[in-house]
Amino acid sequence: MNSKNLLIALLIGAGIAAGLFVATKMKAPTQPQFATMLTQANALPDFSLLDQKGNPVNADTFRGQWDLVFFGFAHCPDICPITLQTLSNAKRALIDSGARVIPRIVLVSVDPERDTPDILGKYVAYFGDDNLAVTGDLEQLRRLTSALGIYFEKIASDNENYAVDHSAAVLVIDPNGQFSALFGAPHAIENYLHDFPIIVATQ
Amino acid sequence: MTFRESAFYPPILALALSCVVLGCADETRPPLIVSDIDIKEQLPGQRMSAGYLTLTNTTNEDIVISRVSSADYQSVEVHESSVENGVARMRPVTELVITANSALELRPGGMHLMLMNANGTEDVSLNFFDGPTLLLTVSSNVARERKQ
Repeated sequence: MNSKNLLIALLIGAGIAAGLFVATKMKAPTQPQFATMLTQANALPDFSLLDQKGNPVNADTFRGQWDLVFFGFAHCPDICPITLQTLSNAKRALIDSGARVIPRIVLVSVDPERDTPDILGKYVAYFGDDNLAVTGDLEQLRRLTSALGIYFEKIASDNENYAVDHSAAVLVIDPNGQFSALFGAPHAIENYLHDFPIIVATQ
Repeated sequence: MTFRESAFYPPILALALSCVVLGCADETRPPLIVSDIDIKEQLPGQRMSAGYLTLTNTTNEDIVISRVSSADYQSVEVHESSVENGVARMRPVTELVITANSALELRPGGMHLMLMNANGTEDVSLNFFDGPTLLLTVSSNVARERKQ
C-alpha cells in the first residue's frame, strides 16, 4: 500500500471513529432513574366509568395525551392530597422547565361509594386546572384496576369514616392509551421532572 | 439581727444551693411543648382535613395522650399513614405516647390528626387529654394553601 492510500485509509478510519464518538454522546436519553418502564406497554381493558361532569370514561379517554394516573379517594386527609399536590407541583415544574410535553393528572377513585363525580370534581380542581376525575360503578372500577395491577380494599369501620387501602403508584398512560411506565411511592417532584421527559422521548 | 445571722439563713441557703445543683428551674418548664403546628384547610369535596405538629416531652416520664377534642371540629381522631409494599394504608391510633425527654412528630405521610367536619373557623383550638386530664391546648390558624 502506498502512502497516499494509507493516508486515505487513516482519514476514513478517523472519520468513522469520530462519527461513533459523536453518536454515542448524542444517543437516546439515559434511562429513567425513578420510574419503571414496562417491557411491553399494556392496552387498557374494556371499562366504563364517569368523569367529574358525568361524561363517559373508557379506554379512548386516555388516548391523545400523556396521563399520570393516581388511584386515591377524596376522604383521605394525608397521602392522597400530598400525592396530588406533588403531581401538580411536578406538572408546574415541567411547564417552567420548558418541557415540550406536559402530562394530564388523573385521579381515579377507589371509593366510588362516597366519591360522586361532583365531589371528586371539586376535589381535583383544587389541585389545578385540567385535572381529570374518574369514578363510577364499582365493578367497572375493578375491571380497570385488576388489568393495571392496582390494588384497593375498603377497610371495615363502625362509622362512615372508613379508610380504603390502595396502591400508591402513579401510572403513566401514553398517547396511544397504553400503560407504559409507573412511578412508585414516595413521590417527589424531582422524580417526575427528571424522568417524565425521558419516558416521553423513549416512545 | 440581719437575715444572715438568723436561724433561717442556713436552711434557705441550703435549699437555694440544692435547687441550683438539682436544676429546680426545670420544674417551671411546661411538661409538653408543641411546635411545627400545621393545620390544613378542609379541601372542596372533603369532610375532614389533616393536622400536623411536634410534641416534645420535657419530663422524665412518658406522657400519654388518649383523646383530642376541639370546639372547631365535629371530632378529632389520630391516624397513621404508611406505604408498605406499594400499598398506602391509614389506621387509627388509639393513644399517643410521648416517651420521656423525647419528641413525637405528627408529619405528612405518617401520624396525623384527622380533623372531621370543620366549622370554618380561621383560628382553631385543640385540646389534648390524658383520660379526664387536660394536658394542653393548642391554637393555630388554618393553613389556607397546601404546601408540601
